[in-house]
Amino acid sequence: MVKRIALAQLSSCWGCDQSLVDLHLKLLDVLPALDIVYWPAVVDYKMADLEAIPNHSIHFGFVEGSCRTKEDLHLLRLMRQKSKLLVAWGSCSAYGGVQGLGNQWELNDLLERKFLKADTITEGRIPEENLPGFTEHVTPNPDIVDFEVILPGCPPTSENTAEALTALISGKPYDLPDKTVCDQCPKERKEKKIKKFFRTHEGHIDPNKCLLDQGYLCLGFATIGLCGAQCPTVNTPCKGCFGPPPNIKDHGAKIISALGAIADMTPEELERAFPDPIGSFYFTDYASSYLSRIRGKQRSRKKK
Amino acid sequence: MITPKTTAPGKAVRKDKKSTFEPRIMAFCCNWCSYAGADLAGTSRMQMPPNVRIIRVNCTGRIDISFILDALYQGADGVLVSGCHPGDCHYTSGNLKMKSRFALLKRLLEEAGLEPERVHLQWASAAEGEVFAEGITNMVERIKKLGPNPVGRRI
Ligand code: SF4
Ligand code: SF4
Ligand code: SF4
Repeated sequence: MVKRIALAQLSSCWGCDQSLVDLHLKLLDVLPALDIVYWPAVVDYKMADLEAIPNHSIHFGFVEGSCRTKEDLHLLRLMRQKSKLLVAWGSCSAYGGVQGLGNQWELNDLLERKFLKADTITEGRIPEENLPGFTEHVTPNPDIVDFEVILPGCPPTSENTAEALTALISGKPYDLPDKTVCDQCPKERKEKKIKKFFRTHEGHIDPNKCLLDQGYLCLGFATIGLCGAQCPTVNTPCKGCFGPPPNIKDHGAKIISALGAIADMTPEELERAFPDPIGSFYFTDYASSYLSRIRGKQRSRKKK
Repeated sequence: MITPKTTAPGKAVRKDKKSTFEPRIMAFCCNWCSYAGADLAGTSRMQMPPNVRIIRVNCTGRIDISFILDALYQGADGVLVSGCHPGDCHYTSGNLKMKSRFALLKRLLEEAGLEPERVHLQWASAAEGEVFAEGITNMVERIKKLGPNPVGRRI
C-alpha cells in the first residue's frame, strides 16, 4: 500500500529538506511507496490544504524546525492531528535547534537586537502587522506534542532520512543508537591529558590522531553516532550537532563532566578556555537543557 | 553578548516572602570525608540549619553535572557539593576533577542568567564536623540573600 506523507517546515533553515533531496536518484527507491500530500518546500501547498486533510489520515508526518512563531505552533499541532506517526526531523525539531540559543535572552531583547540595533539597520522598526507573533521561548517540539520517532541531526544525513523512511515504510521500528560519534571515528585515540585547548584555526592538526587528544574541542564523545563521524573524518572537530545519545539528559552537563576529568589544566585555565560554554556545548540543543527549561518555567510564571 | 542576562529571580516575591523563605538545599557529600563529617556534626549536636537534604556519593568525582542541574530544575534553591580536601581523595583525584567541572558549571550558570552562588563546592574531612556545619550555615545565608529558585517550588 502506498503511504501518505506530509513534510512541514516550522522555523528552520530548510537544510533537512535539502539533505533529503540530496539523495538525488536514490529518492526513487522510496518515492514509489509514498504519496506526498503536503510538502511546501517543493510544491506550493498552503496551510489550508493541510487543514482540509482528514485527521489521522497521514501515515508519516515529518516536522522540520521549531516553534519561534505562533503559526509554527499551529502547524505543529495540525501535523500531530493529521498524522498517525509523527517524526521530529532534524535537531531543530528534536531539541529546539540553533535558534534555541536565543532562550538565553528575553524576547524583547532579541527583537531589539535584530530589528533595531543590528549594524546594518537604518530606521529600524519591529515588524508587527500581518505577522503571527513570536513565541516567548523556544520550547522543544517533543515538549509540545508527542512524537513516535526522533531523528536528530543538523541536518540528518541523506542516508539517515532514507534509512528512517525505509524502516517506516516497511513497518519496522526506528530507534536511536546508544553509540557516539567517537565510536564511528577512524582516528587513533590515546589516554587523554589535555594541557591546552586550541581554536580550530590554531596550530596544526595531525590527521591520524584524535582531535580531542590534540586539544581541539571535539564533542564526538558526547554526541550520538549517526552521521558517520563526518566532521572529524575531515579534521574538523565535532560540534555536537546531532545532540547526545538517548541515555544522556543534558548535553552540556555531560561535556563539562568529561572535560573536568580529561583536562590536565587548572580550573581557572579551563574556565578561560571556554568563555561561552552555552554556545560551545549546546550548539543545537540549548532549548532542551535543564538551564533553558528553568528559564522557560520562570518566564511562564512571570507571565501569569 | 547583547544585553546583560539578568534574571532577578522572583524579585517581587522576594520582598514580601523574605522573612518566611526557608531555602531548600541539596548537598552531595563524599562518603569518605564530608558524609562522615556531617555525621560527626550530627552526633556532636552542633548547631546547623535544618534546610539540607544530604545525598551520599562515593566520591565527588562521581557527581555528573547533570545531577546538580537536575536538582536545580526540580526546585532546589541551592546545591552544595562537599568533598575531601585536595590531596586527601580516596580515589586520588576525584575531588580535583570536581573542582574543574565546578569552574565550568559556574560560568555556565552565569551565562544562562542563574546566580552562580546557588552552587557551592567545599572541602570538609571526616574529622571536621564543625567545618561542615559552618558550610551549611553559610550556604543557607547565601541562598536567603538570593531568594527562591526562579523555577518555582517543586520539591
Ligand atoms: S536541523 Fe539544522 S539543517 Fe535542519 S532545519 Fe534545523 S538548522 Fe536546518
Ligand atoms: S576526533 Fe573527535 S570523534 Fe574522533 S575519536 Fe577524537 S573526540 Fe572522538
Ligand atoms: S561530526 Fe558532529 S558536528 Fe559533524 S555532523 Fe556529526 S554530529 Fe554533527
